[in-house]
Amino acid sequence: MDEDVLTTLKILIIGESGVGKSSLLLRFTDDTFDPELAATIGVDFKVKTISVDGNKAKLAIWDTAGQERFRTLTPSYYRGAQGVILVYDVTRRDTFIKLDNWLNELETYCTRNDIVKMLVGNKIDKENREVERNEGLKFARKHSMLFIEASAKTCDGVQCAFEELVEKIIQTPGLWESESQNRGVRLANQEEGGRACGGYCSLL
Amino acid sequence: MDENSDDKDPSEFAGRSLSEPARFAYAGLCAVSLGQLFREKEQRSYSMEFIEGLVNWLQLSDSVIPTMVAFANGLGGEGTDTFVQLLLEEPILKKSPVTITQDLMSFSLKDGYYDARARVLISHVTWLLRVPVEAMESFEESLIETLKERKPEPSETVDASRKKKETRKKLKRYFLIGLATVGGGTVIGLTGGLAAPLVAAGAATIIGSAGAAALGSTAGIAIMASLFGAAGAGLTGYKMKKRVGAIEEFEFLPLTGGRQLHISIAITGWLCTGKYASFAAPWHSLMQSTEQYCLAWESKYLMELGNTLDLLLNGFVNMVAQEALKYTVLSGIVSALVWPTSLLAVASVIDNPWGVCLSRSAEVGKHLAHLLLSRQQGKRPVTLIGFSLGARVIYFCLQEMAQEKDCEGIIEDVVLLGAPVEGDAKYWKPLTRVVAGRIINGYCRGDWLLSFVYRSSSVKLNVAGLQPVNLDDRRMVNVDLSSVVKGHLDYMKQMDTLLKAVGIKTKECHMSSFVRETMIPAGDSVNEEDTCIGTDNASEDCDHWCWEPVPKNQESPPPSTKASGSSIQSESTRIQNAVTPEDCSEVTSPCNNDQTQASCSSDIITDQEILSTTDTASPVPQREHCL
Repeated sequence: MDEDVLTTLKILIIGESGVGKSSLLLRFTDDTFDPELAATIGVDFKVKTISVDGNKAKLAIWDTAGQERFRTLTPSYYRGAQGVILVYDVTRRDTFIKLDNWLNELETYCTRNDIVKMLVGNKIDKENREVERNEGLKFARKHSMLFIEASAKTCDGVQCAFEELVEKIIQTPGLWESESQNRGVRLANQEEGGRACGGYCSLL
Repeated sequence: MDENSDDKDPSEFAGRSLSEPARFAYAGLCAVSLGQLFREKEQRSYSMEFIEGLVNWLQLSDSVIPTMVAFANGLGGEGTDTFVQLLLEEPILKKSPVTITQDLMSFSLKDGYYDARARVLISHVTWLLRVPVEAMESFEESLIETLKERKPEPSETVDASRKKKETRKKLKRYFLIGLATVGGGTVIGLTGGLAAPLVAAGAATIIGSAGAAALGSTAGIAIMASLFGAAGAGLTGYKMKKRVGAIEEFEFLPLTGGRQLHISIAITGWLCTGKYASFAAPWHSLMQSTEQYCLAWESKYLMELGNTLDLLLNGFVNMVAQEALKYTVLSGIVSALVWPTSLLAVASVIDNPWGVCLSRSAEVGKHLAHLLLSRQQGKRPVTLIGFSLGARVIYFCLQEMAQEKDCEGIIEDVVLLGAPVEGDAKYWKPLTRVVAGRIINGYCRGDWLLSFVYRSSSVKLNVAGLQPVNLDDRRMVNVDLSSVVKGHLDYMKQMDTLLKAVGIKTKECHMSSFVRETMIPAGDSVNEEDTCIGTDNASEDCDHWCWEPVPKNQESPPPSTKASGSSIQSESTRIQNAVTPEDCSEVTSPCNNDQTQASCSSDIITDQEILSTTDTASPVPQREHCL
């Protein structure tokens, strides 16, 4: 691990099959987009170091497979995660409706109760939108999640989604300090950054 | 990497016929296990290569490799439970979970090279899937059986084919193991590629013509000659060509004449006239592998030493003094120990031959190291077992190997009993690089002879044969043998008991499991759980490696060892007189798994007793080959 990395955070991406979880991750880590991306097998893993408010954080991102047949594998990855990105497809209402199931699963298997959740409505570049932004925002508020709409294809909001999440995790005392013992860096009292999309984040 | 995927029907390979999630779980299970077993930097490249190969072997998408690599690096930390659960729910595996073991072995052997780490991994995975280790061994044996039947190929053809192999990489695709399932069991065909048509003919009877056709037509036959060393001659073919250094004698004698995919080499610590005049004598009950050798080394000096030891213990120092010594040493005040004048008077008698043998054993160890590094034994795992100076040979062998590159993956387990070597953990650290499985240090706190010969040496209070080695590594296992070993000479006389105590298989183990197989288990089973020390290591759910490491900053033996020590001690009188199955299972608890323990539990009793007690054991593993 690099000397100046503050902490390593475990981030999980979940959501229905085909909502673009892997595409979001690929856009975030490699800044590429592949419209023909194959379905994830089991789980995918990527590491990326990002800098938030001058603090470097190493993200270990587990991108789970949305397909039903891999569902049995997913629960084991919830353990120890500090942040979770819940993705739905704004052009498919069914993926939005299923969010409740995912939240239930998260509740069941997650080992922490202060895990930071981020709701991402993906594919906003598409015409045939079925889920309005307000609905997503409402859902996020109800379940005290961060919210953003994004498009992996056009790169809209992707970076922001991850940055927001990490920022929130770092601001949450007790969520990550134990992971970086003996470092003696405390950020608990750090004031919220002056970013345009702090808290409940909204682009568009 | 995957030369065989294009010309083989995937259905032939059990691993590939699994569903995709199961294959992912299978690869994940191996990756996580590799991460747990071989976390060290030196082993990293092997793990990565293994994982990449396995992903290809299972025809998984390359995109999972980063994930698997993350698993192997200990990331994810989710453990193996989910994977195991998912695998066990797979229809094929529900019927026979041993399929994974077999597939993994086929994969590991496909290049004619059986790495010790692969074997450790396979047995770990086998254990995780709750398959008895015997199933794995019998599968190994069936591999050998198949090979033996097809063997009549002259060594020239083997040589020729090997040359071809080197020059023409294309041929590599011939070297795979055909696998076909018949009914419940899986039969594997492997032999020299040149004998392929012959094999197919023979195999048809076993596999059924369809499977055999696949074997023969695509020549999906592995050349396994490299597994067995030069032309399969084994270690007995090795003769020391010239005098090396100070070594006068160095030769391998076969202990058991079989053929196995892994071998054991036993090293005797001294010789003495009478019953123990030969190198093989102490090892009569050893049955860790069906192919075992003992090392004959420097018999002249070892005989001299042995006779001196005998004389010393039975003549010069009277029994009373010996007892007093033993308890003084046992109580740990050895630093303040005043050696009896009677002993000091004859010190020169022992010091001289001991000193000679100490230096010779180190030399022999180094020679053995280079011999093993040059793969005279073939490309298969080796287990080394030795007591007293034999253990010293092993220690120096491992130290020497650790300094060479490519030393990994040769040695599976090592057993050092009463080793006259440094016991400081820092000296043992390099050994972890060489040994894939376990490093077992059997010691005796009351071994006054060891204390005595080291009385003036700088390491006198830090001898491995007298105390646990506090090395923090999953490989390190310390076994307190104080209750079995009454004096240094007992290492030779009590070898049978000691082998069981440290979890090495003996002939009776094989016998009893054979007997048990033929008998229907009766209701009144011995509560093995109760009699096993360190309850955690006996429980099925825990990782069987977990109990082994010795905590770093601990003066005394780790809990489990401690427990074993004290329990052995409390039972010591009983062990001496009549060993009951309960006692044995206590002593044998460091066995690899419950089943081994179970099969060990009736070891020391006579055959008749075996017959009467074996039915007390828990459900029996299926064994096809015994003895």
